[in-house]
Amino acid sequence: GRGGMKGGNKVVVEPHRHEGVFIGKGKEDALVTKNLVPGEAVYNEKRISVQNEDGTKVEYRIWNPFRSKLAAAILGGVDNIWIKPGAKVLYLGAASGTTVSHVSDIVGPTGVVYAVEFSHRSGRDLVNMAKKRTNVIPIIEDARHPAKYRMLVGMVDVIFSDVAQPDQARIVALNASYFLKAGGHFVISIKANCIDSTSPAEAVFQSEVKKLQEEQFKPAEQVTLEPFERDHACVVGGYRMPKKSKAGNA
Amino acid sequence: MALYLLYESASGYSLFLAHGIDQIGQNTEAVRSSISDINRFGKVVQLAAFDPFESALDALNQCNSVSEGVMTDELRKFLEKNLPTVKEGKKPKFSLGVSEPKIGSHIFEETKIPCQSNEFVLELIRGVRLHFTTLLKSLKPGDLEKAQLGLGHSYSRAKVKFNVNRVDNMVI
Repeated sequence: GRGGMKGGNKVVVEPHRHEGVFIGKGKEDALVTKNLVPGEAVYNEKRISVQNEDGTKVEYRIWNPFRSKLAAAILGGVDNIWIKPGAKVLYLGAASGTTVSHVSDIVGPTGVVYAVEFSHRSGRDLVNMAKKRTNVIPIIEDARHPAKYRMLVGMVDVIFSDVAQPDQARIVALNASYFLKAGGHFVISIKANCIDSTSPAEAVFQSEVKKLQEEQFKPAEQVTLEPFERDHACVVGGYRMPKKSKAGNA
Repeated sequence: MALYLLYESASGYSLFLAHGIDQIGQNTEAVRSSISDINRFGKVVQLAAFDPFESALDALNQCNSVSEGVMTDELRKFLEKNLPTVKEGKKPKFSLGVSEPKIGSHIFEETKIPCQSNEFVLELIRGVRLHFTTLLKSLKPGDLEKAQLGLGHSYSRAKVKFNVNRVDNMVI
């Protein structure tokens, strides 16, 4: 029960295998990110504060995999999310910015998140969220037309996409041709129903992977987002990867 | 035939001159491999002119026009000042590579500056985007991101119809 010194609700936070992501070890383990804006929640998520040995405090925000496909992919065991401290990320389908805020935590003050969302309704929340997080550049524009926002975006290390559109592969390819470094990476969430609701999910994922391969993408892994999302997969890979020099070809 | 590149950044307009690139002899694959390395790219593509935007409001106006494929008076002045003159009845000895065909045709209609926007030009512009802050020595590290941040907010706030002058007022 309670009582004793400092009670029984002490939480220990440990680094996750993915740099910039942490695990809060309490009664139940939870995925967390280090809050870039301590004292503020973005979408009423819970926060936990941990005291360092030197007395300083660090605040973390709980990252709910039922509300974030990226968090679901991490818990699904994805090998690499490529989003890490200092990274520049182009985020397509930013919605109200809940996941974007965690990506902003991960890349930290030296990283940048270009967050593209077309819907004005969620765009308002996104713009408001970005006011407090200066590593997030909000872009209310149609991800189908990257030329429209070419003045706002630099070259990026990673494209994350969650646009839930039938032509998502084409949208990601077009954005990559403008903004993704050669040797950069993509992480895309595919909702089978949004692409083709008549085929089995696995067949849809396969055909999407094939479309990506035709656009200079090299898919490296695929994880399902079960049990957090139904018929969703997350595909991760590289873009314009350097050709390995052949042996004997000096 | 000289090839210039127009690059629209959040900080201002810039022109680059692509030296010694004979388009017929070049394939896109060769350009792709050369843009990653700044030592190689910097020899081929050099800054010809840069014109910073005067204010945040000016940047927003330029960004809105560029987004719609429209050449503003400021862009026209910048191009006419920094590109070779186009004489009537003579075929110009240069062309301007642009990111998107719509702004190219508007520039050509108004100024007769020949524009092109093809795979080859887009690859070169990818290189400019990758190395922009290195090629443009007047920008300090972080300056470009600051400009993008300010412009991203003003561009997006206008889109969702926030009143630009008031923080919490929105029009449905």
